[in-house]
Amino acid sequence: MKALVFSAAAVLALALVPLFIQSPYALHIFILVFLAVALGESWNVIGGYAGQYSVGHSAWYGIGAYGAFILLQSKGIAPWKGVWVAVAVAVLIALVVGWITFRLRGPYFVLASIAVAEIIRLVALNWKDLTNGAEGLSVDVPPLKIGSTLITDWNSKTPYFYMGLLMALFCVAVGVAVKRSKLGYYLQAIREDQDAAHSLGIPLTLCKNAALGISAACTALAGSFAAFYFGSFIEPQAVFGIDVSIQMVLTCIIGGIGTVTGPLIGAVVLALLSEALRTSLAQAHLLVYGVLVIVVILTMPDGLVGFAVQRLRRKAAAR
Amino acid sequence: MTALLEVRSVSKYFGGVRANHEVTFSVEQGMVLGLIGPNGAGKTTLFNCITGFYPPTRGEVFFEGKRINGYPPDKVCKLGMARTWQKVRPLAKLTVLENAVVGGLLRTNSVAEAREIAFEQLRVVGLDKRAGVLAGGLPIGERKKLELARVMATKPRMILLDEVMGGLNAHESEEIIKLILDVKQRGLTQVVIEHDMKAIVRTCDRIVVLNSGEKLAEGSPKEIVNDPRVMAAYLGDSGGVKA
Amino acid sequence: MAVLIQSILGGILIGGIYALVGIGLTLIFGVMRVINFAQGDLVMVGMYVTFFLFQLLGVDPFLSVVVTMPALFLLGAVLQRSVINAVLDALPQNQILLTIGIGLVLSNLAQLAFTSDYRILSTSYSSSSVALGIIRLSTPLIYCFFITAAITVVLYWFLVKTDTGHAVRATAQDREAAQLMGVNVRNMGVLAFGLGSALAGAAGALVAPTYYIYPQVGGAFTLKAFVVVVLGGMGSIIGATLGGVLIGVAESVSAVYFGSGWKDICVYVIFLLVLLLKPSGLLGKSRM
Repeated sequence: MKALVFSAAAVLALALVPLFIQSPYALHIFILVFLAVALGESWNVIGGYAGQYSVGHSAWYGIGAYGAFILLQSKGIAPWKGVWVAVAVAVLIALVVGWITFRLRGPYFVLASIAVAEIIRLVALNWKDLTNGAEGLSVDVPPLKIGSTLITDWNSKTPYFYMGLLMALFCVAVGVAVKRSKLGYYLQAIREDQDAAHSLGIPLTLCKNAALGISAACTALAGSFAAFYFGSFIEPQAVFGIDVSIQMVLTCIIGGIGTVTGPLIGAVVLALLSEALRTSLAQAHLLVYGVLVIVVILTMPDGLVGFAVQRLRRKAAAR
Repeated sequence: MTALLEVRSVSKYFGGVRANHEVTFSVEQGMVLGLIGPNGAGKTTLFNCITGFYPPTRGEVFFEGKRINGYPPDKVCKLGMARTWQKVRPLAKLTVLENAVVGGLLRTNSVAEAREIAFEQLRVVGLDKRAGVLAGGLPIGERKKLELARVMATKPRMILLDEVMGGLNAHESEEIIKLILDVKQRGLTQVVIEHDMKAIVRTCDRIVVLNSGEKLAEGSPKEIVNDPRVMAAYLGDSGGVKA
Repeated sequence: MAVLIQSILGGILIGGIYALVGIGLTLIFGVMRVINFAQGDLVMVGMYVTFFLFQLLGVDPFLSVVVTMPALFLLGAVLQRSVINAVLDALPQNQILLTIGIGLVLSNLAQLAFTSDYRILSTSYSSSSVALGIIRLSTPLIYCFFITAAITVVLYWFLVKTDTGHAVRATAQDREAAQLMGVNVRNMGVLAFGLGSALAGAAGALVAPTYYIYPQVGGAFTLKAFVVVVLGGMGSIIGATLGGVLIGVAESVSAVYFGSGWKDICVYVIFLLVLLLKPSGLLGKSRM
C-alpha cells in the first residue's frame, strides 16, 4: 500500500516536471531514462522472470522502429496507429523464434538469440526494397490532431516527455501485472528449476512464449518511440545492432533481474552515468556498461536491488 | 477393479544400458506401493518413464485406464499423478509459500485461491510458520516437507515419492512416515521409493523389488522381508541371513 | 566451375583463421566450461598490436606472431586470474555476460585510445596473389593458412605429447578427477585462457594484412567463432578445425552464389540449424 502511494506521488511529480524545467537537455535526459526503463522492464519479463537471457532483443526493437517507419512512409499511416501493427508483427515473429529456440537451454539459448537478431539485422540491411538498406529511412512525423484541434506538432521535447513517461509507466505496469499473475509464478518456477516446474504441471513452451510475446511487444513499442524521438532516422546497425540488446540486458543485470524495481534502478543509473560520461567517452560510452556488468557479476550477481534487499534482510535478522 | 496405475512390461534402454527391463506391476486406488531395490536398480528411471520425462523404450503405462506413453510431464501431472525428486528441487529464490503456490496454481487461475490451497498444505506438513522464508535457505528436512506440500497442492490422485526420507534423521523420518499415513487416510494412492526398510514395512501395503532393472519380487511386506532373493540382491551374494 | 573451385579454396584459406579463433574458444570452454564472448575482441587486440609493430618498428605481421602470441597469452592469463576465475561456479548465463563485459571494455578502450578510424596495414604482398592455372589465391591468405596449420600442429603436439598437455586435457575431461590426481586445476584454467587468448592474438596478427582494423571488428569474429565451435562440437579441437574450414568454405561459396550481403546470413542459418538439430556438433561431447 505504501508502495502504491509512493509510486503515485512520484508519477505525479514527474508529470509536473515540464512545467518547471524548460531546458531541452534536461528533458532529454528524462526521456532517455524513460526509454531505458521501458526497455529494461520489457526484457525483464523474459530474462528476469523466466530466466531466458535473450541477447537478441534488438530484433523486436528494430521491427518496432522499421514497422512504424515503413507504414508512415509508404502508406502515410500515422505513427500512433502504425506502431500497433509493428508491435503485432514483432510478436508474431517472436512467437516463431520462440517456438524454434526455446528447446535450447542456458548459454545455447543466448547464442541462438544473438544469431536470430543478427539474421534479422542482415535481412534488413540487404532487403533494400523494403528498408532502403544501409542508407536508412527518414520520415517526418505528422502533427497530432484530435478532430481539428492541434495537440502537438512534435517540435519540442515536451510531447516526447509525456509519451516517454506513459510508455515507461505502461511497461512497469506490465512488469508488475505479470509478476503477480499465474504466468509470473510459472515463469519464475521455470527459471529456478525447469524440470521441477515441468513436473508440477507447468507447460514450458507455452509459458516461455507468452513471456516472449509480452516482452517483444513492449520492446517493439519502445523501439518505435525511440526511432521517432532520435531524429526520425533509422538504419539497420543502429536499431538491430547487438549494442541495443546488450544495453537492455545490462540494465536489468546491474539493477537486479527478476524484480520490478531492478530494471528501474538500473535504467536510471546507466542512463545518467553514460550521459554524464558522454563528453569524455563519446563513442566509447558502452565502457560504463562493460565495467559495471563485470563489477556487478563479481560482487553482487543479484544486482543493486538484490544487494540492497540482502543488506536489509540481514539487518532485520540481526535485530 | 481397474488399477489406478498400470505398468506393463516397461523397458528403458540407454544405448547398451538396460536401466529397466520388462517391469510389470499395478497400483490399486488407495494403496501405498513400496518400490525398493539396491542402488542402480532402476527405480528412479522407472519413475521418470512413468511421469513422462522420457518415454519407455518398450512397454506401456496406463493411468486411470488411459495409455500415457509419451505424455509430457506437465500433462501427466495435470492428469493427477505427481512426483517428488530424489535430489530435492526447491525453487530456491521463491519463498516456501510461493513454492507451494506454484503447485496450487495447477487447478486454479486465481493466485489468491492457490495461496489458500498452498497454505493448507503447508499447515499439514508443519511449514506454515516458515511461509516467508526463502526455499533456498531451508535445511534438508524442511526441503523434503516443502516438496511434499508443493506436490500435494496440485491436488493429485496419486503421488510418487522418490526417497523422500533420504538424508533425514530419525525424528524427521518419523514425521514423514506420519505424513504418508495421513495422506493415505485421505484416500491418495502412493508409490514410495525408499531404502529405509522399517519405514517401508510400516507404510506400504505391497512391495515391488527391482534389481538390475528387472522386477525381482512382489508381495506383502512380510513376504518380501523374508524373501532370501531380496536379501541376496542387497548384499550381493546368495545364502544371506534371515531378516 | 573454376569460380567454384576458387571460392572453395579461398574459403579453406580463410577458414583456417576461423578455426584458429574457434580452437581458442573451444579450449577455454573445454577446460573451464566458460563461453568466452570476448574472444573476437582479443583478436582485435592482436590486430592492433600487429599494426603498431608494423607501423612503428616495421615488423612484418607474419613475423610479429612471435610477439603477439606471448603478449596476448599474458593478457589472457591476467584476465583469467583477476576476473574469470571468480565466476567458474556462477550461472553460465552470468559467465557469458561477464565475458561480454570484458569484450565491451576491450573494444571501448581501443575506441578511446585509437578512435574508430579504420586502419589499413599494407605490406608489399598485401594485394598480390598466386596463380594455380586459372585460379588465383591471395598471397597473404596462403601465408595465413600455413602458419595457422603450423600453430595448430604445435598445439596438438603440446596437448597430446607433453605432460602439461595431458594435464590440460584431464582437466577438460573431468575437473574433479584431475584435481584428485594432483593436477593444479587453477593453473590449468590460467593456461587454457592464456592459450586461447594467444591463439586469438595469432589470428589477429595473421589477418591484419587483409582486414580493416578498427575497435568493433572483434564482434564478427566472436560470432563466427561460435558458429565454428558449435558446428565442430564444444570442447573438440579437431572439431573446431573442421568447423572453421567448413564455415570458411560455406561463407565463400555463398558469397559467390548469393552475393556478399547474404553470405553472413547463410552462416548464421547454419548455426541455428546445428543448434537445433545436433547441438553437440559434429564431434563434440553432448553437453547441453
